Amino acid sequence: MVEKILKKDDIGKLYSELEKEYKFYAPTKVKGNIAFKHILNAEEIELDYLNSKVPPKDVLFPQKETIFEYRYEGKEVIIEERKDLEDKLLIFGVRPCDAYSFKLLEDFFASGDFQDDIFLKKRENATIIGIGCNSPRQSCFCTSVGGHPFQKESTDVFLSDLGDTYLVEAISEKGKELVKKLSWLADAKKADMEKSKELAKLAEDSFTTKFNFDLVTKVLDENFEHPVWQEISESCIGCSSCTFLCPTCTCFDVIDENDEYNNRGRRIRIWDTCQSCLYTLETSGHNPRPAKIQRCRNRIMHKFSYYPSNYDCLGCVGCGRCITACPVNNELRLIIDKILEIQEKSGEKVSA
Amino acid sequence: MGLETENKDIETNLIEIARGLLKDKKVDVIIGYKKGTLPLLSQPIIIDSEEEVDKLIWNNLCYVNLAKYLVPRVPRFVDSEKGNLKVGVVSKGCVGRALIHLASENKINLDEITIIGIPCNGVVNRQRIEMEIGEKEILEVSVSGDNIIVKGKNFEKEFLFDEYMNDLCKGCKIRKPPLISKAPDLCVGECEEYSNIVDDFSDIAEFEALTPEEKWNQITEELSVCTRCYACREACPMCYCNLCFVDQNKPVWFGKTTDLPDVFVYHLIRAMHMAGRCVACGACSLVCPMGIDLNKINRKLEKIVKERFDFISGLDPDVLPPMVDFKMDDAQEFMLEED
Repeated sequence: MVEKILKKDDIGKLYSELEKEYKFYAPTKVKGNIAFKHILNAEEIELDYLNSKVPPKDVLFPQKETIFEYRYEGKEVIIEERKDLEDKLLIFGVRPCDAYSFKLLEDFFASGDFQDDIFLKKRENATIIGIGCNSPRQSCFCTSVGGHPFQKESTDVFLSDLGDTYLVEAISEKGKELVKKLSWLADAKKADMEKSKELAKLAEDSFTTKFNFDLVTKVLDENFEHPVWQEISESCIGCSSCTFLCPTCTCFDVIDENDEYNNRGRRIRIWDTCQSCLYTLETSGHNPRPAKIQRCRNRIMHKFSYYPSNYDCLGCVGCGRCITACPVNNELRLIIDKILEIQEKSGEKVSA
Repeated sequence: MGLETENKDIETNLIEIARGLLKDKKVDVIIGYKKGTLPLLSQPIIIDSEEEVDKLIWNNLCYVNLAKYLVPRVPRFVDSEKGNLKVGVVSKGCVGRALIHLASENKINLDEITIIGIPCNGVVNRQRIEMEIGEKEILEVSVSGDNIIVKGKNFEKEFLFDEYMNDLCKGCKIRKPPLISKAPDLCVGECEEYSNIVDDFSDIAEFEALTPEEKWNQITEELSVCTRCYACREACPMCYCNLCFVDQNKPVWFGKTTDLPDVFVYHLIRAMHMAGRCVACGACSLVCPMGIDLNKINRKLEKIVKERFDFISGLDPDVLPPMVDFKMDDAQEFMLEED
């Protein structure tokens, strides 16, 4: 594997070369916040960012997505399948936590009795160019969920911001092919690689938020009915900021929208959220999660208990979006603290 | 308008009042604000013992409207034997107004509430600050003189509070909770009697002067990033429907996507439901994860209601709000009459 160097001034060159082949997605500013959008002009790309508000999950699993469209011809219904699924996608400048989220999404969409063709096709056609986090935020905790601010495994190509240049490392076969195409990239020197490692170490040491999730999972499994859930859900106002901004939330709802006047319609899916009163509402009117207490619990249990038992990994990438997004500051760190307190208190009882 | 010292005095006073109320068993429980874990946030906190009163804070980051937690009551406000507990609510002007307005709609019984009045000088528009700081992490926010000082790694920036407070707070005329004339003993701390409130609505003059097309563009641009997380609705003390119109699913009333028409319909109808009810707390905008500003729409509604019905929400629990009342002399020039 040969490491390359990309000058920051050459991002435009890289873009114009790759956008011919790929639908090029990258972080850009939309109404004051960073979002991953289809880039039409290289100047829109903002690589010097903390993290996007809405995760790049949005590219592969958008909030609203057409499954198929249909039209009536007389009494017949003609299904119109999507034609854009063969597009080659490039998701440029993804943070390692979000890149790792693609793996979790894949676990979900590929497992069980149903294969989600739409997601999996898009994932297969997507090339991920990751970028290391030189300065993780205080709300970041990827190192506690098995990640790292310079984790490269879930990406195809990995960039490290060295100041005026990026170190370019091809990680996967797909990535190697892509880097080969950019023949004008200069070879990296040993010093560049050293610097990248140094930055990775500095970033790793800067984490202030750390959790022991093995313990959290254990405590959660034993305390489904614990009164702490009342306390945890007390100040929650029941909005969906935490779930809609989460890179690993996968719940969706399927809706048919009929356009009678034009004799056509579409079947779409939209993000659903366990925080909504409609979530798991049964036709009978019964809802097993009728109040905030069950909904708050579901989000935490899903990430830190159900995921470990279903997929053998945590359902969280440690991006910290739910921490910063909660409008009433009922954030994950406090929730985890309260959960771990159960263990501490029961420990005290035993020793007393 | 100095911030820090002024607020410290308020905080000390608040803690003493809270301690007294719990000690004398005038309230069973108090809801107020606690220091947040992030520099630009505070947390709602419920306390039921004197030992905890020191956790209460008051500063310009206390933007959640606490009246929200009373409709419906959070579980801790209800005792399995005693029923509804008596709740002390730390109230800036708009929280007090929300409580009074909710009483006028028969959603709460004011006898079960004590309004702990706080003189508010406005809350910080945190999203505007976050957006101006941009892609740098804010680590510390402090206040000095008239400035909000925002610090992070390798940067420090000052913002003039008067400019960077929430837009609704800038022209706020009801900074302390209105005194309920019939039952003044339900108010402690700083409450005030209001009469002849003069509001020229100059803050939205610029918006009103726009052409319909310009207004449309401005509002649709604002709403284009909405994720329909409904934080605005959930933070709003006036949004208490058991089932919101957008959640109606038997049958579905409105489209559920983030396409502009669907988003627009949600915000438009929610706005209509706010006419004569919005208490201008700005919580809807301040909680929005995408930083959508709904203030102009709310202010315009407030103006229409004031001009048409001479009504200001949340001042008197015994005056029916215009949308639930009918008067013979209500303007009705929109009706088609034969004469």
